[in-house]
Amino acid sequence: MIQIKNLRKVYRTEEIETTALDHVNVEIADGEFVAIMGPSGCGKSTLLNVLGMLDNPSTGEYNFWGEEISKYSERQRAKLRKGNIGFVFQSFNLIDELTVYENVELPLLYLGKSAAERKELVETVLTRMNIMHRKDHFPQQLSGGQQQRVAIARAVVAKPKLILADEPTGNLDSTNGEEVMKLLQQLNEEGTTIIMVTHSPYDANYSHRIINLFDGHVVTENVNTKFHI
Amino acid sequence: MLSNYLKIALRNLWRNKTYSAINLFGLAFGIATCLLISFYILDELSYDRFLTNADRVYRINSDIRFGGSDTHTSNSSAPMAAALVQNYPEIEAAARILNQAPGMIWKGSEKIQEKEVYADSSIFEVLGIPLLSGNPKTALNQPHTVVITRKMALKYFNTVEAVGKTLRVNDSQYYKVTGVIEDFPSTSHLKTDLFFSMLDNANSRQDYWLSHNFYTYLLLKPGVSPKKVEQQIQQLFVRRAGPFIQQTLGKSMAELEAAGSYLRYSLMPITDIHLYSDRVDEMNPPSNIQYVYIFSAIALFILVIACINFMNLATARSAHRAKEVGVRKVLGSGNGNLIGQFLTESVLLSLMAFAISLLLAELALPAFNNLADKQLTLNFFKDWYLFPVLLLFALLVGVLAGSYPAFYLSAFEPARVLKGKLTTGMRSGWLRSSLVVFQFFSSVFLMICTLAIYNQLKFIQKEKVGFNRDQVVMLNGVYGPQVQALKNEILRIPGVQSGTVTGYLPIPSWRGDNSFFPEGEVVQERAVQMQEWYVDTDYTKTLGLKIIAGRNFSPGMATDSSGIILNETAVKLFGYANPIGKKISAIEDMQTGQTRELTVIGVVKNFNYESLRENVGALSLQLSSRPAGWANFRLQSKNLPETMGQIEQVWKKLMPGQPFQSQFMDEAFDNIYRSEQRIGNVFMAFAITAIVIACLGLFGLAAYSAERRTKEIGVRKVLGASEIQLITLLSSDFIRLIGIAFLIASPLAWYVMDQWLEGFAYRITLNIWLFLLAGGLALAVALLTVSSQAIKASLTNPVRSLKSE
Repeated sequence: MIQIKNLRKVYRTEEIETTALDHVNVEIADGEFVAIMGPSGCGKSTLLNVLGMLDNPSTGEYNFWGEEISKYSERQRAKLRKGNIGFVFQSFNLIDELTVYENVELPLLYLGKSAAERKELVETVLTRMNIMHRKDHFPQQLSGGQQQRVAIARAVVAKPKLILADEPTGNLDSTNGEEVMKLLQQLNEEGTTIIMVTHSPYDANYSHRIINLFDGHVVTENVNTKFHI
Repeated sequence: MLSNYLKIALRNLWRNKTYSAINLFGLAFGIATCLLISFYILDELSYDRFLTNADRVYRINSDIRFGGSDTHTSNSSAPMAAALVQNYPEIEAAARILNQAPGMIWKGSEKIQEKEVYADSSIFEVLGIPLLSGNPKTALNQPHTVVITRKMALKYFNTVEAVGKTLRVNDSQYYKVTGVIEDFPSTSHLKTDLFFSMLDNANSRQDYWLSHNFYTYLLLKPGVSPKKVEQQIQQLFVRRAGPFIQQTLGKSMAELEAAGSYLRYSLMPITDIHLYSDRVDEMNPPSNIQYVYIFSAIALFILVIACINFMNLATARSAHRAKEVGVRKVLGSGNGNLIGQFLTESVLLSLMAFAISLLLAELALPAFNNLADKQLTLNFFKDWYLFPVLLLFALLVGVLAGSYPAFYLSAFEPARVLKGKLTTGMRSGWLRSSLVVFQFFSSVFLMICTLAIYNQLKFIQKEKVGFNRDQVVMLNGVYGPQVQALKNEILRIPGVQSGTVTGYLPIPSWRGDNSFFPEGEVVQERAVQMQEWYVDTDYTKTLGLKIIAGRNFSPGMATDSSGIILNETAVKLFGYANPIGKKISAIEDMQTGQTRELTVIGVVKNFNYESLRENVGALSLQLSSRPAGWANFRLQSKNLPETMGQIEQVWKKLMPGQPFQSQFMDEAFDNIYRSEQRIGNVFMAFAITAIVIACLGLFGLAAYSAERRTKEIGVRKVLGASEIQLITLLSSDFIRLIGIAFLIASPLAWYVMDQWLEGFAYRITLNIWLFLLAGGLALAVALLTVSSQAIKASLTNPVRSLKSE
């Protein structure tokens, strides 16, 4: 499904050049749940941005479902991203001015779905995330856990092939964190590929495989044997 | 999608109430001001366009250079109109108006002075004025007939059906009403209410081509070039006036021209009279196209200032919108979508501002009318076309103001903003700074202009004009056998110091000029064209004029009836080193060239008898007991109301039935500069509006600047910075910008005001303090605005500000 080869990402300012990712090779199969770990500044988020097509690599190849996209323009990437990738962030990134329902509806609007179709999809996913009763509330009226459930609902409403989660439990207490991880696990079991950046070994245990990054290099790739069931 | 945009826009506006209010009201003020100015300009441009033949009617202007003086008049000679129609088929019709009043109109036992003129019977055909009743072709073709406006018909006869009724004028003249016309709109250069038949004025039948007293209007046939007609007028004039000039001055027209004198005629489209005429003898004071340009520029300035506020605040707030942009992009929004969204927001805001501005404009209209001396109305049912135009205008403003923030915000990179890499809303600070500089440049510029105009007007009021206009009361309508008795009786009142009976006064009043020659030298080269004023022996004393050589007229000297007093300019033009006792000749009869001899008995110090825009021209005073029209008295300043009461009593006793009309000379003097005063007031209002809108924007920017620097302020406080230091820190950026604005505005304002002052013969010099005052005011207002935010930020507990990051 996803294959990156010799991928480098270099940030340049006028005076210094920082290598965020250095010759990274990763392959992720369809339906996999992969955790990316490593200390702060090791390049985890950069890798996630490249995988999520929010950023282009400096050099190297990126094959997404058989399509070489490393040289794609912002417009091409946006087009491919739409409907194919769902994002979950540590800080939820819900739009404060939109209600729960409207936040979840947003990706469908951009996909040009009809109003009836949108309604059905949004209500299904909200019910599934057990947040339907809050559909007319604004994000700031919800708890952290509820907000993240809305964010996950928004990520999956368009039924993407891939979900990228950037420390999805980072802003949550352990109970809410666990609830979110279980939701992700469930989605994975239903066939959605998930790539998750995390600091937490506990959360990483939900994944099939853990990729450890250090100073922009992949240092280890372990198949996770301690699955949460 | 649109509903999503609208929803988020409305919620955003509601959530950020201060920001929204600043933006909304800033923009609404700007649009309202712009609307008012637009109405003003449209009104100015619409003068005389209501006339059916507006595009084919021209008035003859005359430019005359003779005897050392230049005359630019809107009048021409009596025989010109008929002769032109007779000789040139290109001219369809012509009509004359003579701006003289047959007299006062009786209404019951009261006599009233109305706006009256004499007019040819063709006037309605030429101008294209339909008659409500009566026949336009025959209405004035009999003596003792009059055409009146609807207003007059109602006033004197209580009905519009006034044809056939009679008006009593003066003592025992009766005029038959032969037509009623609609009242003239305010956008007419004619303000007349009564048109008396020209047949009642003897001068109108004179075949004398060198006296210019009639407004002559020509209706050209369609397609005829006015330039061609101008040449024809000139040819006709040379043909008809040439023999007379030859006979009087012994010179041909060509020789006269070769010697530097000329009489030239030009045509002015009737629709240009209000804005383009610089003639001093217009029936009503015209305006100036320059003011239309200036006001258009101001309208644009203010609108741009308001749009800049919108752009500045929107981009300054970009940090708050960055996350949303990032999320939307991640969820599949393209740049186009986002641009659409932000433009929808700004258009929505501008439409809301537009609705508020209509209300504001409506509310401000009476004050604006008062300020600008207009009668503008807002009537969307009548002027329905205004609505789509204004709506389009609002859309344009929305797109104009929203386009920069839209493109700026939509260009955010999602990966960066979602990581919080774009925490400051102050990126692209140079552009915002330039916009603030522009706003303050406009404000300072307008303020300097306002101060300069006010100073010039104050200077005029305080300038020594060579006569004392304080405490002089002028009584109008002084005619008849009782005039001397009236003067003597009033002089007996204790509070009255002196009095003079004459209509020749150094304010807009009677004028007359004549050609004078040194004795025995009645040749064109020696001619001195000068004002010829008829006064009495108390004239110089009452007006406080100074005799600098010779003496004043004396009641005991019989020879003074052929004496003349010259002003300094006249003495200079005659070239006399010692003028007293010199004999001069004045043209007595224009048609025969007969002269009369006068002896110079005194020289009066120059006094400004025209506006201070002009230099003092040559003037002479002669004794006369001709009808004066005005009686003028110098009063003592104490017990003024009591003295005025006594004067009115004397008037009522000696002038029964005649209305008591009095005016103080200093008021009449100030009226000369009313148009400048009006412009000054309008400028002041606009300058204040500009500065208020700019400060609204500045307030918003300062608030965001303080918010953005919360952490920096906290750190500085922890490290020991005092409140004063922090306020200075936060204010210094804005002070710098205002400094730059000042440096750009000052030379430009200096240039523009210097050009304006060129129009005055007596003017102020533009002092540095005037510029410093304007700059200082702008700075003070801006500092007040900014420092309130800076103080708030500096007083915040550093623990809180550090935690907030």
